[in-house]
Amino acid sequence: MHPQLEVLLQIQDLKAQKRELEEAGGGRQVQEEQFKLDVPAALEALDGKIEELEGDLDPPVRRRYERMASGITRVVAPAINGTCYGCFVSVATSVASDRSERNSLRSCDNCGRFLYFVS
Amino acid sequence: MVLREFFDKDVVALDLQGDSKDEILKELIALLALDEKSEGILFKMLKRRENLGSTGIGRGIAIPHCRSLVVNRLRIAFGRRKAGVEFKAIDDHPVHYFFLIVAPPLEVSNQYLPVLGKIAQFAKEPQVPERLAKLETPEEFLALLEEKSV
Repeated sequence: MHPQLEVLLQIQDLKAQKRELEEAGGGRQVQEEQFKLDVPAALEALDGKIEELEGDLDPPVRRRYERMASGITRVVAPAINGTCYGCFVSVATSVASDRSERNSLRSCDNCGRFLYFVS
Repeated sequence: MVLREFFDKDVVALDLQGDSKDEILKELIALLALDEKSEGILFKMLKRRENLGSTGIGRGIAIPHCRSLVVNRLRIAFGRRKAGVEFKAIDDHPVHYFFLIVAPPLEVSNQYLPVLGKIAQFAKEPQVPERLAKLETPEEFLALLEEKSV
């Protein structure tokens, strides 16, 4: 896996965690009631970690990430069985099957999301 | 939906060996049989969740959990460490029983939070820690879930 994709994946997972905590009821309620989580402090810690990871992105990747993040929730999409699960369009066969290509930072030709190949 | 649906004996380990939170998390992750890179990412995510506040809910039970794109469906595992591990649980007691829950950021069936809630509910059932302590096989664990009908 490309190191920058690993960073992007972590940012996305942390943002998902943050969104869940921000929603009234649901995840926030479970975290407060079952785990006695201090939600405001947790949100602050998540923001800090996201910012730190964003700083680990190479400038060109970061610019693309920021451009995409302003318009869509998920900038990384899983590619499963040759399909981008961001836009549900088939990924180019050469990208989906070539292992060396899969280890580089690839994105969907259709929606532009970074692709994470799930085997 | 009942918890039993999400478990099979391959994701139940009654003899965890770890002596620290990190070691236990790694053993639990290994039960999911992911690739090495995914295991590493998942470990970091679970650690970050633990850093926000322990998932040790008391009575010797912890429910480490997170969402991550490294899984494409809800995954659950159960592990037991008879000696107990310091987990910074809310009651400050060592943790013996671990339920790992990982779900993708977006789930079609939206099972993550209900399952998290059900495991917390199961943990509060009378006699559950005592019954978990006496388990001798993964099949007995699955039978306990069925018996409790959570």
